[in-house]
Amino acid sequence: MTRSVWKGPFVDGYLLKKADTSRASGRNEIIKIWSRRSTILPQFVGLTFGVYNGHKFLPVQVNENMVGHKFGEFSPTRTFTGHSSDKKAKRG
Amino acid sequence: MPDSHILLGVIGRPHGVRGLVRVASYTADPADLAAYGTLSDAQGRLFDVAWRAAGTAEISEVIDGRRVKVATREAAEKLTNVKLFVAREKLPPPDEDEFYFSDVIGLSAFDEAGVAVGVVTAVHDYGAGASIEIERAGQSPLILPFTRACVPEVDTGASRIVVVPPDEILVPDDGREAAA
Repeated sequence: MTRSVWKGPFVDGYLLKKADTSRASGRNEIIKIWSRRSTILPQFVGLTFGVYNGHKFLPVQVNENMVGHKFGEFSPTRTFTGHSSDKKAKRG
Repeated sequence: MPDSHILLGVIGRPHGVRGLVRVASYTADPADLAAYGTLSDAQGRLFDVAWRAAGTAEISEVIDGRRVKVATREAAEKLTNVKLFVAREKLPPPDEDEFYFSDVIGLSAFDEAGVAVGVVTAVHDYGAGASIEIERAGQSPLILPFTRACVPEVDTGASRIVVVPPDEILVPDDGREAAA
């Protein structure tokens, strides 16, 4: 069952405050959070969060396409790094 | 197998009685395995791979320039678990600011002052930008976003990167601020 629209997206309130502080500082920062349940809001775009997966904080660079998803979706708790093969990483 | 070779896939169990095999492809697009041309195994034998269906391929061994098709199930069984490699120089050059995982893994990391930080042991990408994991002696691994701000310099030729760890803000679940 989906969440009722009238409730709006869920996000832990303190994240909003931290995001505003981090954005205002303009420094190279990573906001380490445990709140995997929080929805990614448009005001988080451009920030980098370290989302805890039960073991370590995985960096999550928020972009427009991630709005509406939960932080936890980008920090898997069961990881298989696989083979590097011909996979490429783009420096953001 | 020397470091100059990249593992691209593994031949699996036979499929049917005509020499087809299942092939596990590790390439970013699984179909690209056949696009790299002749592949080699750890013993130096050469193989051509031609996809016949999703995950199923026809294998030909290249002997003295001749392609010998694997045509029977018995011959295919002998190839089970054979790893397929390609020479690093056969990979197309990456775009600007793009790096092959295999080129980044193993690089030595230094801070801006030139002090050794550790060695890159993994590259993660779960859909939220790439990040690198740096193994540090006597400390927990350092995971950094793979951005210009945190990794301003990547020199694969000199096998080194320069890292600038970001400031950390810890936000516990109860919302209280903790010391970073």
